[in-house]
Amino acid sequence: MSYLGGRGFELPTAQIGVSRWRRFRASVDWPLVLVVLAIAAIGLLNLYSATHGTRHAGKFDQQLRWMFVGGLAFVVATVLDYRALVRVAWLGLGAAVIALVIVDVAGHDAKGSERWITIGSLGGQPSELAKLAVILVLARLIQDTAGQRPSWQSLAPRLAALVLPVVLIAIQPDLGTASLVTLIMLSVGFLALRDLWPMVYTLFAMLLAVPLLWENMHDYQKGRVLAFLDPSADPTGMGWHTRQSIFAVGSGKVTGKGFQEGTQNQCDFLPEHWTDFPFSVWAEEWGFLGALVLLGLFGFLIVWILNVATSARDHAGAVVCVGVAAMTFWHVLVNVAMVLGMAPVVGVTLPFISYGGSSVLTFFLGMGLVASVSLRKHGY
Amino acid sequence: MTAALPELARRMRWVMLFLFLAFGGLVVRLWQLQVLRGDRYYDQTVDNVVHERLLPSIRGRILDRNNVPLADNRPAFNLYATPRAFSPSALGELRRLLGLSDEEVEKVRTRVEAGRKRAAGQPVLVLEDQPRERAARVEQERFRLPGLEVRHEPYRDYPQGAMAAHVLGYMSQMTAAEVERLEASGYRPDEQIGRYGLEAMWENYLRGKKGRERFAVDARGQRLDEATAAGLIKGDRIIEPVAGYSLVLTLDATLQKLAEKAVAIHPAAAVAVVEVKTGRVLALVSKPSFDPNVMTGHLTRAEEKFLNSDPRKPFIDKTLRATYPPGSTFKFVSTVAALEDGLAQEEEPVACTGSYERSGTTFRCTGSHGKLDLLAAIQRSCNIYFWTLAERVGIDRLAEVANQFGFGSRTGLGLNGDSPGRIPTRAWYEERTRFKIGYTINSATGQGDVDVTVMQVAMAYAALANGGTLFVPQLVDRVIKADGGTVIAYEPQVKQRLTTPPEVVDLWRRGMWKAVNEPGGTAFGHATSEIVPILGKTGTAQVKSRRQRKDEPEIKGWHPSTDHAWFAGWAPADEPEVAIVVLIEHGGSGGKVAGPVARTILEGWWTKVRAAPPAAGAAPASGGAP
Repeated sequence: MSYLGGRGFELPTAQIGVSRWRRFRASVDWPLVLVVLAIAAIGLLNLYSATHGTRHAGKFDQQLRWMFVGGLAFVVATVLDYRALVRVAWLGLGAAVIALVIVDVAGHDAKGSERWITIGSLGGQPSELAKLAVILVLARLIQDTAGQRPSWQSLAPRLAALVLPVVLIAIQPDLGTASLVTLIMLSVGFLALRDLWPMVYTLFAMLLAVPLLWENMHDYQKGRVLAFLDPSADPTGMGWHTRQSIFAVGSGKVTGKGFQEGTQNQCDFLPEHWTDFPFSVWAEEWGFLGALVLLGLFGFLIVWILNVATSARDHAGAVVCVGVAAMTFWHVLVNVAMVLGMAPVVGVTLPFISYGGSSVLTFFLGMGLVASVSLRKHGY
Repeated sequence: MTAALPELARRMRWVMLFLFLAFGGLVVRLWQLQVLRGDRYYDQTVDNVVHERLLPSIRGRILDRNNVPLADNRPAFNLYATPRAFSPSALGELRRLLGLSDEEVEKVRTRVEAGRKRAAGQPVLVLEDQPRERAARVEQERFRLPGLEVRHEPYRDYPQGAMAAHVLGYMSQMTAAEVERLEASGYRPDEQIGRYGLEAMWENYLRGKKGRERFAVDARGQRLDEATAAGLIKGDRIIEPVAGYSLVLTLDATLQKLAEKAVAIHPAAAVAVVEVKTGRVLALVSKPSFDPNVMTGHLTRAEEKFLNSDPRKPFIDKTLRATYPPGSTFKFVSTVAALEDGLAQEEEPVACTGSYERSGTTFRCTGSHGKLDLLAAIQRSCNIYFWTLAERVGIDRLAEVANQFGFGSRTGLGLNGDSPGRIPTRAWYEERTRFKIGYTINSATGQGDVDVTVMQVAMAYAALANGGTLFVPQLVDRVIKADGGTVIAYEPQVKQRLTTPPEVVDLWRRGMWKAVNEPGGTAFGHATSEIVPILGKTGTAQVKSRRQRKDEPEIKGWHPSTDHAWFAGWAPADEPEVAIVVLIEHGGSGGKVAGPVARTILEGWWTKVRAAPPAAGAAPASGGAP
């Protein structure tokens, strides 16, 4: 049963005269591909507008290269059987954990927190790719335990292994990504588990842990939260980003100021707007209507991925899709809410729009996994 | 088709609801920001980038009667900081780069903080009139000094230094209260305002009208290029400023300089030179003085403290604000009163024994003059003669004549206080104490409670010289536009016409001639000139004893209990053109101390000021009184 009502169509597995390529082409999830391309195009357009003619102009070319690499990754992930990846999911998580440990121990310091490792000239944030590893492991876990009631003793080590990357990300410290990974795991749990009560207990326990977390936060992190609670209290300090972002978005009014006409981003009132605040640039230059279009595309993308999930042929595929949908959803929600002054400023990117190789690669790979699930839903 | 996860399909309804609420929340917020409050935020972002800067209007100049500039403008480098972008670390950097003193750092800090409270995005003046090297330094390092800006602006300059400082005044930063009061009339908080003298009095004429320039800046307060700015700014980018009006004074720079030089050896003095036929002021000196260039933005705290602690009170104009007992220069009042009333005769002899006893008090004369007539009394300044006259007319009649000659009321110049002084009457004393004849005696010789300003004496003597017209002193001859066109030209203004008979004035004049030009005269040999015939009356005014305060710095040659030295007169003797009053504060004998000063000034006036163009033989050969 397809949620959107689209009827699947059966292809004979060995029809004479139909090449593998044509079958492949007919089975590829084109709506998914098109909506991802549309969002990525908006991202490039937006980055061009924000950086062209400034000393950051080189960022556009760089992003274009990453998009190209991301596109390749998407194709590779589509062609690869996701089941093979789910089979080696623990290995992937292991690699992610090792990378995170390297970052924690020897990472290169950006803004008081270590999130980067440098390999040759390429820098990367393993915490982004760790999300995919976590999603694959969740798929594996749910696949393994489907139809049985596993004992706590057998489950505990695997759950602990899942929590390990979250802890490693949190101590970088990157609370934004850590909570995002947590949200992805919770979402998958709520959507895919038969019994919801363990999830309810977990959520309750986590809420109780919040005060403990506050005690261990860095000052700049506390500052961001406090600034979020009252952005006008210190206009040049912590609340500055939020205030200027709200000004930018609001000043776009209904139809926006036009391409490259956004004074807030063109005049540098939004520092680092290409990574954390691209939505602000978009909303300033294209207005309420432009913002609606972009949110609509994201909404469609998420619903489409969930649709793929419901029609997946196995547990693993469904969970992979739910995981990628949850990752996309939480990134969009947290990033846009932050831009609109509804959430504290955290380093959570807007999928395909934010500048940055790790984010671009992670989301293209994620979409590739979904496409892979979609391709194989009918037994191909 | 069977779903792999039946739970997922079952819960999808809730998931969709959750998605709808989450995205709906974002959309509602977008609606609120962009549709409902969009206009407000739009204005805010325009304010963010489009800044307005007032273009300074060029302040009018102040010129002497021959168009010699006394107050002018020169280009200067001013440092402005935008409080929003100017951080404490930038201040530290600035201090290091320019080697600022603690005082300067404190000044920058307070001005930035004051600006932050007003409008954090508007640049405020933090350091005015900086040397070229400092400006170049800041320009060079501007990327390390966010929010800092050098502007090339006109700055008030007094090319003659301290000359005529009390007349010209100076400029200084407005106080917070003034900013509050004057912001409505177009003043900016970091503007300077005329603070003293003509600069203050004629502020509205001099300041002109500011222009306006709008430009775009980025988040760090750096100016954006013209093309970007043109796209952001709607309407006029620049409204040109209008220059202020200039003042042409009656003052003569040459004579002013000469007069200041003539009192150079005296620690405290006042000089007024006026045209007798118009009341126009040619020179006006008040000493000690100050340099308006220093006062205008460069006064350090140490200098300020020094100026304020000076017991000679440099900031009190000694020609207009400070009042003094006029001493014997006041004797013409009793003479005029007695002659007008027929209570005195020119030839009437009075015997002077050196002392004069009335109601138990002994008043002392300057010497024992023996038997003398009125002319000789003026010549030798015999107190007893005038005490006798005063007793005949009474104190109220003295006051009446004094008032006619302008004492006891403001001269009407309106500058620097323009004190009315005090001419006591019988009623005035009875209000305070029991009237005694001694008060009349004191008044006759310009002592006791008589208080006058130097300007009042000058105008009174000018009236004596011109035969009875008391003028309002005039300092501004005309107001002109920047291009030289006249806006207003001022005519001499008569304060009042006197009824003194010509023969009375003539008698006084003959007495003054003797005082200066005949042996035995109080100024004989002191104010006597070979070059120009001078006549005048000396005065040596006793001061009420005042104990010197302990914390007062000692001033060499100046002691608060020494007499004031006066000389009041005019030149040339028969065809009077200028009246002069010299007061040497606590200088001692009028003839000996003030006389030579008056002579130097009048001789200088005759040879250097009046004679240009030279008028050979214009000097009357004889100054002898008929």
